[in-house]
Amino acid sequence: MQLLLKPFALLGRGGMTLAAGVGQWGRLTAETVQAARHVDVWLRLLIPQMARVGVDSVPIALFIALFTGIVLALQASYTFTGAIPLYFVGVLVGKTMMLELGPVLTGLALSGRVGANIAAEIGTMRVTEQIDALETLAYPPIAYLVVPRVLAGIIMVPVVTALAIGVGIVAGWITAIQLLDMSSADFVNGLTLFFLPFDVTFAMIKATSFGFIITSIGCFFGFNTQGGAEGVGHSTTRAVVVSSMAILVLDAFWALVLL
Amino acid sequence: MSRAKEALVGVVIVAAVLLVTFGTLWLQGVSLRAAETEVTAAFTSVGLIRPGNNVKYRGVRIGRIREIEVDPQGELVLVRARIQDDIPLPEDAVAILSPESLFGDWQMEIAPRDRFPAYRYSEPREEDHLPGYSIPDISQLTATADRISADIEILTERVGIAFSEETARNVASLIENTEEVTQRLSQLISQQADAFVGVTGEIQETTAEIGEAAVGLRETLDRINATLAREEVGEALNDLLAVTSNLRAFSEGVEGTSDQFRMTAARADSTLMRVSSLLATVEEGEGTLGMLFRDPGVATEMEGALQELQLLLEDVRLNPRRYLRLSIF
Amino acid sequence: MGIVIRDLHKSFGPKVVLDGFSVEARDGETLVILGGSGSGKSVTLKHVVGLLTPDSGEVEVDGQIVSTLAREELFELRRKVGYVFQFAALFDSMTLAENVAMGLRRKSDMDREAIAERVEECLRLVDLDGYGERTPSELSGGQRKRAGIARAIATKPQYLLYDEPTTGLDPVTRAMIDQLILRMSDELGVTGIVITHDMDSAFRVADRFAMLHNGRCRFEGTPDEIRACEDPVVRGFIEGRPELMEKES
Repeated sequence: MQLLLKPFALLGRGGMTLAAGVGQWGRLTAETVQAARHVDVWLRLLIPQMARVGVDSVPIALFIALFTGIVLALQASYTFTGAIPLYFVGVLVGKTMMLELGPVLTGLALSGRVGANIAAEIGTMRVTEQIDALETLAYPPIAYLVVPRVLAGIIMVPVVTALAIGVGIVAGWITAIQLLDMSSADFVNGLTLFFLPFDVTFAMIKATSFGFIITSIGCFFGFNTQGGAEGVGHSTTRAVVVSSMAILVLDAFWALVLL
Repeated sequence: MSRAKEALVGVVIVAAVLLVTFGTLWLQGVSLRAAETEVTAAFTSVGLIRPGNNVKYRGVRIGRIREIEVDPQGELVLVRARIQDDIPLPEDAVAILSPESLFGDWQMEIAPRDRFPAYRYSEPREEDHLPGYSIPDISQLTATADRISADIEILTERVGIAFSEETARNVASLIENTEEVTQRLSQLISQQADAFVGVTGEIQETTAEIGEAAVGLRETLDRINATLAREEVGEALNDLLAVTSNLRAFSEGVEGTSDQFRMTAARADSTLMRVSSLLATVEEGEGTLGMLFRDPGVATEMEGALQELQLLLEDVRLNPRRYLRLSIF
Repeated sequence: MGIVIRDLHKSFGPKVVLDGFSVEARDGETLVILGGSGSGKSVTLKHVVGLLTPDSGEVEVDGQIVSTLAREELFELRRKVGYVFQFAALFDSMTLAENVAMGLRRKSDMDREAIAERVEECLRLVDLDGYGERTPSELSGGQRKRAGIARAIATKPQYLLYDEPTTGLDPVTRAMIDQLILRMSDELGVTGIVITHDMDSAFRVADRFAMLHNGRCRFEGTPDEIRACEDPVVRGFIEGRPELMEKES
């Protein structure tokens, strides 16, 4: 009997942990929105965070996008061999980069880079009492730490994503011309054939939500760090894992809701 | 936080905003240099056209569809498009909606009215709106062909009834043959309709050739109308004999290789032609054969169907590229 | 007005840390709270600035009950309180000068130059003048601790809370920090609570003592009284004789 109940107990406990976590995260989010009124506290910190979240992430995001674009073009031409005209390479590269790979790969890369960074930094501040120190110096820690990071994420992840999409498409384009013996006109024809302005809106909506998820989850795990260096490591790992999963779930969610 | 880094943040944001803005505009096909103007065309129905589809003039893309709406009276559909304003459109310009490719993408073509005089254009209420005509979807081509064959079947049946008790037994058997062959033709057409998703290159060629034949068909029709008037039944029956043998050859050819297909298609053309001319004679009630058909409705309907088919075929002939894209499937 | 702690209870899960702790730091005096590691000294201190909320009981600072204050009022109160953290809790991402200036930027309406001046003054006070542009990672443990004190005193608070200010420091630095605590109290009239288990330091700075044991106040009195105290737990602690304390518990 015990053995029979065990899986259910595990499932129940897992579900409760998840629900509790989501609840606490929701509370942090609500507090973040409230803390946003302390403009004097976070405004000065916003630009540095935008530099960290955005500018510093540009190289890795573009690197990923570059190779994604190349691979997409090559795989598309391989798949379409004979049966489908080659300008569909342009359709595939454009649509895929905009709708899916641009936002999602950038999001995943940034959850590793930015999310982990935030969780580690805030986690360290937590275990070394720096957050308490902020409080005693009359700084609301959420306004000081969370608001600028989340805002920077919301602003800069779409920016980085836009650049990544651009680079990915150009990489696919150059690949198509150089390696696939396609004409530039063919590729552009494919690119524009099914293009809708909504594609860009969709990508930006996704990227904005990813920016929010990555930073808020990073802050959440950072804030809830317990124990010393080990706790920080634990938080960092969890922040990356959870925000990556959240990105994929959110990705499916947007596809369901908006497409 | 150094000033340089702050500037870098700004640069990255500006770069992204510019990329998104100009990228979107470019992909949307909005020309940033050439000024644009709006044209509106009126249609009775618009098929599968939707905003974003291309507008072409003499085969060149000159703009995009912006908006589609039913006019306030509810009788016309107004399609608004933005096109380059440096292109002088002809005085009697009309707009034709047609499939651009078989992916379901449609286009609006602007042309002088005399280019396609046979189309029944919707006349707009407003003076500066263009008259428009929406070409039936290509799937209607097979449907029309099907209808024609059904009509042929009905007519042939009547011919069969009329002659069964006559002394000319061979005529009766010929007509039976005709019926059988027509059934095969009908089968072939319905097969094509089924296999429409997987249309092959040969079918295109056939379609094109049928198109040419259809033009000849009308000429022949006129000629035979003249020669057959007041002629003996025997001559008409001789024609029918030839028709039947041709039809038979055609349907046998269909079962052959694709190389033969082209030749049999050509023969089928002339066959169809003769059947049509006969039917036309019949319609006029001329000759003894004509007297047999007392219901003018069938023939009239058939005439209309043939005309519609001809329009489609003519379009195939004039714009083979539109249908050539079939090959990608 | 002072700091009054009344019947403070605090548990973390099943672990009872404070079990009715009461003590008072009167205006202008320096109270030293003694107690073993994990006895809840730091927890008590965090209640004073509202970093923790009590399960029951209350802390009164400057005439206000900390746990009943709204967030804005709490920030107001914190402007009057300086907190010296055990491991300094300096902000890693900032230079020393920025660390010290943090409180000033928020707690005062000084302009840029006045802040720079005050920072310089505070750093000189803790013997760190010229270190303003270094980051915390470039400092030794003692220097960090002194920097932490400089940050806490920069806003000239009325109340100063020291969480083990001398632990892990060399004797010279220790003496220096003790002098600093005394100066704050003597010259500026600051009310202080010092948490420590460094007895030398405790006797140098204390106006009064309190001992926290098993979550309650075991002893409260002057340095002379604590020297004369017969309670084996107190004796055992100040003389470093665990056998006395064990007998008791």
